[in-house]
Amino acid sequence: MTQTLPTAPRRREPVHPTPEWAHPGKSLLLPAFWVVLMLIAGGAVRVALFVRDSFAAYPTATLLALVLFGLYAVPFCVFVAALDYLEREPPLLLATAFAWGGLVATSISIRGNAAVHNLVAKLASPGLAAEWGSALAGPTVEEIAKALGIVAIVLVARAQVNSVLDGVVYGSLVGLGFQVVEDVVYAVNAVAVAGRGDQVAPVIATFLLRGFLAGLWSHTLFGALAGAGIGYLAVRTDRSLLVRVTVAVLSVLGAMAIHFLWNSPLLSLGGGAGIFGDLFVKGIPPLLMILLLVRGVRHREADYYMGQLAALGDRRIATEDELRVLGHGHLRAGARRYAYGRGGVKARRAVRRLQRAQARLAVELSRGVVRSGPAPAPDPAAAPTASAVGVARVADGPTCAPILGGSHAVRWRDRVLVERGRMLALGHPEATAPLSHNGSIRRILGGIAVFLAAMIVVGLSLIALGAS
Amino acid sequence: MRVARGTLLRNLAGSIGVLCTVAGLAFGLPALDRALPAQRPAGDGPYPVGGGVTVTPPPGARLDVTLTRPGDTRGTAVFLTGTVRYVVVVTPFDGSLAEANARLRRKITGVRGHEITGKEFPVRTASGLNGLQGTYAAPGRAGRYLVFRAGGVAIEVTAAGSAPALSGALPAIEASTRTIAYRGGTA
Repeated sequence: MTQTLPTAPRRREPVHPTPEWAHPGKSLLLPAFWVVLMLIAGGAVRVALFVRDSFAAYPTATLLALVLFGLYAVPFCVFVAALDYLEREPPLLLATAFAWGGLVATSISIRGNAAVHNLVAKLASPGLAAEWGSALAGPTVEEIAKALGIVAIVLVARAQVNSVLDGVVYGSLVGLGFQVVEDVVYAVNAVAVAGRGDQVAPVIATFLLRGFLAGLWSHTLFGALAGAGIGYLAVRTDRSLLVRVTVAVLSVLGAMAIHFLWNSPLLSLGGGAGIFGDLFVKGIPPLLMILLLVRGVRHREADYYMGQLAALGDRRIATEDELRVLGHGHLRAGARRYAYGRGGVKARRAVRRLQRAQARLAVELSRGVVRSGPAPAPDPAAAPTASAVGVARVADGPTCAPILGGSHAVRWRDRVLVERGRMLALGHPEATAPLSHNGSIRRILGGIAVFLAAMIVVGLSLIALGAS
Repeated sequence: MRVARGTLLRNLAGSIGVLCTVAGLAFGLPALDRALPAQRPAGDGPYPVGGGVTVTPPPGARLDVTLTRPGDTRGTAVFLTGTVRYVVVVTPFDGSLAEANARLRRKITGVRGHEITGKEFPVRTASGLNGLQGTYAAPGRAGRYLVFRAGGVAIEVTAAGSAPALSGALPAIEASTRTIAYRGGTA
């Protein structure tokens, strides 16, 4: 007989797994779903009208702007997908976050920004509005409009926001959507201001300036910071409401402060080389700060999920080395490269599939209730008993080993074992890579060198295009 | 599939909060903006348009502060004399006067219903800036445009209103355009 234990309250954990009973269809019953749908539809109409008018006036330039900034979003999406590797967010929710940023937040901001600029001009002077208008309007209106998108995601699908990292993922996608649409608007406006007809040069200059020199520390980054705070508010229910609200407010204020600094004339050197000064003084420090924050929350989430696999104590599921590798994107990639070196494409593919199956198993283990029951035989083909569906921990004794997860966990456990079998057949039994500190240092230094070279090339290209 | 009443109420409250904040940003701020007057007296002395360009506004002209934006390298000043809108725009420009003129003409004719009328003729400001002047028209409106080149900028001037209003305001506007100066002197 199986004794079902009450689910232990895991309120202190950094991750609140999506409960098994959570059903996506339930969102349809929530008022927030219809509010978000209505606002996205309204924003879509507004942005579609802008694109239609832009196509009518400048067809080539508008098409180029859409293509360039559409492609520009791809590496950001890849980066976010790598962050989100272990517990993947539903694509529909990710698309909703992107749509909020691109359609709703931009539509709100166009009206709100203009009003704030005008208010500054009316209450102070046109000179102050020209110099400080963007620094005052951008952080206040735009950051609030984007933060609302993350709050909306929490309201629509609370069960899917499981960790602070999920807040970062949704926040960065809201920011990315905003950044892409705003950049398209800026590019088309640059064509109109140039007054030379349907020319592509202003679009390319905008792409280089806003996409590269000003793009890496722009809305995606601000959104990630705000998302971390709102994720904390939603997830860390072990803390008092006051602490959670304070953290959320501080994170949104932090995003506003970085945005303000970037838009303001403070610390600006001015002149042609001024953009490089801005880049190092106002761009890179916040970028590094937020990347460190994201790294911290990612490690916390990874540690939690690796703990789920480690609790099985089964080397066929994951070895100690694989647990070290699986939680970090660059180490996962290193393991795949190592497999490719040893066994070619097939080994690399097998490692990729094993890593994916291990990650899914870890998530499923976290979602299921913990039961006690007889430990099944070590035969991987052994079917779980009907009364204790789940994955058994490898126990020292033959009885009373906890059964973790549910039927999905069994499915992914079986998938892991199948992939392990494939790897054994290929003569590459473990998805790991040898430790190499030199390689890491080389990679970091190489990355910095490539980044600096790219920035210099972009800056020189802008000077050649005569951008101001 | 049911949702607990408490969850539903909390969700409703959150949704109303989101909706109210959206409305506040998208409609509340513009309403506040509309509630405050946009015009103020332009003053009598030279007004810094931006990019090193100054102009003395027509007597009694009012400045539209919501459209006026001075800057180091560019700027816009929008004055109102009666119902006539008198606009001076300074932008960085490295082409010739003819190219600056062609660009302004494209901007004017790019607006639906606007067309260039009559001939162009040269003009000269009191500070010695050479430029071109012409006329344009739109349904129910008449317009005058001028363009100058100075240093690394182009100075575009337009004045538009109903035909009687424009003809009444034109002497004062022409006197004002003659005061346009770049960095306080000649080109």
